[in-house]
Amino acid sequence: MIGCISIILLSGCWDIKDIDKRALPLVIGISKENNDDYKVTLQIPIPQEDAHLSRTVTGSGETVASVLGQLRTNFEDAIDYSQIRLIVIHKNLAKNQKELKKLIKFLMVSEDIPSRALVSITDDNIENVLSNINKKLGVHASSIYDFFNKGAGWAPEIFSVPIWEVYRSLYSYTKDLAIPVVRSGKDTVLTFEGAAIMKKGILIGRIRPDEGQLVNVFQNKNEKGRIESLGFASIIVTNSSIQNKTSLNNNTPLVTSDLNLKIYILERKAGITNRRIKKELEKVTEKRFYHILKQSQQNHTDIFGFGQQFRQQFSYNELKDWRNEYYPNLKVNFKVTANIE
Amino acid sequence: MTRPLQIGLTFIIIQLSFGYLIFPDLIYDITNTAHWELVMCLGIFQLFLIWMYFKGLSYFPQSDVVEVYLKLGRWVTFLYFIPFVINLILIVAFNNRLHTEVIISIFLPRTPYWSILILLFFISAYTATKGIGTILRCSVFISLLVIPLVAFNIFSSTVNFDLHNLSQVWDLPIQSWLDIKFFYLLGLSPFLFLGFITFETNISFRKLIVAWISVILFLLSVVYIPLFIFGQETVVRLSNPFLEAMDSVDISWFSFNRQTVFFGVSLVGLVIFANAVILLMIGHVMEKMFQPRKVRAPHWIIGASVLSFVLAVIVPNKSLNEQYFLWSIGAQSFFMVTTPFIVFIYGFLSKRGVLKYEK
Repeated sequence: MIGCISIILLSGCWDIKDIDKRALPLVIGISKENNDDYKVTLQIPIPQEDAHLSRTVTGSGETVASVLGQLRTNFEDAIDYSQIRLIVIHKNLAKNQKELKKLIKFLMVSEDIPSRALVSITDDNIENVLSNINKKLGVHASSIYDFFNKGAGWAPEIFSVPIWEVYRSLYSYTKDLAIPVVRSGKDTVLTFEGAAIMKKGILIGRIRPDEGQLVNVFQNKNEKGRIESLGFASIIVTNSSIQNKTSLNNNTPLVTSDLNLKIYILERKAGITNRRIKKELEKVTEKRFYHILKQSQQNHTDIFGFGQQFRQQFSYNELKDWRNEYYPNLKVNFKVTANIE
Repeated sequence: MTRPLQIGLTFIIIQLSFGYLIFPDLIYDITNTAHWELVMCLGIFQLFLIWMYFKGLSYFPQSDVVEVYLKLGRWVTFLYFIPFVINLILIVAFNNRLHTEVIISIFLPRTPYWSILILLFFISAYTATKGIGTILRCSVFISLLVIPLVAFNIFSSTVNFDLHNLSQVWDLPIQSWLDIKFFYLLGLSPFLFLGFITFETNISFRKLIVAWISVILFLLSVVYIPLFIFGQETVVRLSNPFLEAMDSVDISWFSFNRQTVFFGVSLVGLVIFANAVILLMIGHVMEKMFQPRKVRAPHWIIGASVLSFVLAVIVPNKSLNEQYFLWSIGAQSFFMVTTPFIVFIYGFLSKRGVLKYEK
C-alpha cells in the first residue's frame, strides 16, 4: 500500500531541478538602446569555494518578459529568477514615462521576480555596472546588493527602494518617491550619486546625496552616522528625531516640523565655539530644506510626503488634487535644533 | 467542554478561509474611506442572523435545520435545499480553483492545476466522509498549525506599515449600504453550518460571540494590512492585495526568504478544512432528504466532490472563475439571509400553535 502510494506520488519529482542545477541571478539590469529592443543583463554568482566569481549574461528582445524567457532558453542551467535582489534601470529607459510604468507594472505582477527586490537607476552602461564586480579584488558576488544594505548607522545617505514602493508611488495621490542613482565606481564596485525624483512614473529631477538624506529624514529614517563638514568644523550626527504638526486654515495647509539633531564634534579650527557650530549646522540644514521644498513646490512634486499627513483632513476626492491645488500653497515651518553631546 | 471550543474553532477557520482572498478586494471596491465601519456592519448583521438562527433552532430541541424543514413538508425541503446543495457544489468547485491559482502563483509555478485540485479534493472529501467528529477534532489541529502563522504574518508585516496611508476614518459613504457587493461580503462569512451540527452538540450563542470577536479582528487585519502598506489608491489596482502585502516583507533570515510560502501553506490547510465542512453539509442534507432510500452520506459526499472537481477543472480561466465564484457566493448569501428567518418564524409560530393546542 505504502509502496504503491509512494510510486504514484514520487513520480511527481521526476523532473525536479535541484538547487545545484539552477542558476540564481542576483542583479538584473534593464536598458533600452536606440532601437526599440529591451536589453536585459543578469549577474549570476558562480558558487565555488574561495573564489568570488560571477558572470553576466545579456539578451535583448521586444519585451522584458521575452528576454527573460530567451535567457532561460539559452543558459546552461535552469535560471530561477526568484532570488533577484536588485534591479538596475538605465536612465534612458527610466526617462520614458510610459515605458517605465509598463516595466514597473511587469516587475510587480511577475510571479518570478519578487516584489521586494530593490530598484535603482544608473546613467552608466548597465554591463559596466554589473561586470565591474569581477574586476575588484576580494569582492563577494552578492556585493552589489550588500551595497544597499549596510545596516543602521553605517552609511545613512544610502537608502533603498523596493519594487512595491515604486509601484505604490505610481498611484499615490500624496507622496512622491526618490529612487537611488548609482554608477560603477573606479575603486569600488558602485558609487552613490544621489537620488532621482519620480512623480507618477515621470523622472522630475535629481537631488544630491545630502539632500536625499534630508528627504529620508521626513520618512522617519534616522540620520545617525551622517558626517557634515561646515568649513571650520566637522560633526557627526549621533541621533535624530523629527516631529511634525499639521493644521489647515482655509484650505492652506501648514506643517510645523522640528528636527532634533544630537551631534558630536569631530574636529574644529582653533577658537570656534560650540555655539557657532550649532548655529551654522542649523542654518545649513534649514537652507538645504527650503531649497528642495521651493523646487519641489514649483514642480508640484511632494517629495517629502507632506500630503500623507493631510490624508485625514481632506476627503478622498480632494486628495486627488493635493499635488496641484494644495501642495503649492503649503507652508512649512522647519526648525532644526542641534544639541552637542 | 471541548465541543464548544471545537465548534468555535471551526467557525473561525472557515471564516479565515473565506476571508483572505476575495474579501479585501470587495471591501476596497465598495468604499474608499472608513473601511472598518463596513466590516463592523457586516459583522453585526452576521451576528444578528446567527442569533435569529440559534433562536429559531432552539424552538426545536434535538433537531437540525433539515429536520425543521422536513416538518414544514417534504416538497418545501426539496425546493429549498436542492438549489442550496447545487450552489454549495459550485462554491466548492470555484473556491478550490481560486485557491489553486493562488497556490500556483505562490510556490508551485510549474505544477499543472489539476494535480493540485486532486490533492485538495481528495483530502477534503476524505475528511468529510469521516464525519463530524473528525472534522471537529481536525479544527483544533489546523488552528494549532495555522493561527500562529496568521499571527506571525500580521506582526511581521507591520515593518512596512505607514500609518499615514489611511484615508479618512469616519465617513462611510451612504451608497455602500446599497451596493450589491455587500451581499457578496455576507456570502463570504458563512455560518449556516452551525445549524447542521447543533443536533449532535450544542454551542451557546454567548460562547460563539468570543469566536465572532476574533473573526472580526481577523477580518479587520486582512483589510487594514494592505491598506497600511499600500494605501487605498494602490490597493484597488492589485489583484491579491493581501498576498502582495505579505510578499512585500523582506525577511532574509526566514526560511525561503519569504513568509508568503507559509501563508500559502496555511491557505492550503484552511481551504481543505472549509471544503470538508461544506461537503459534510451536502452529505448531511442529501442523506436526510432521501432518508428512505438509504444512500449514506459518504456516498453523497464522494459524488458531490467528483462533480465539483469536474467543474473546477473545466473552468477555462482565472477571471471567469472569480466571476462565477462571486455569483455563487451571492446566491449563498440569499440562503444565509432566508434560512435564519424561515427557521425563526416557523419556530415562533409553531410554538404559539403548540401552546394553543395545549389549552
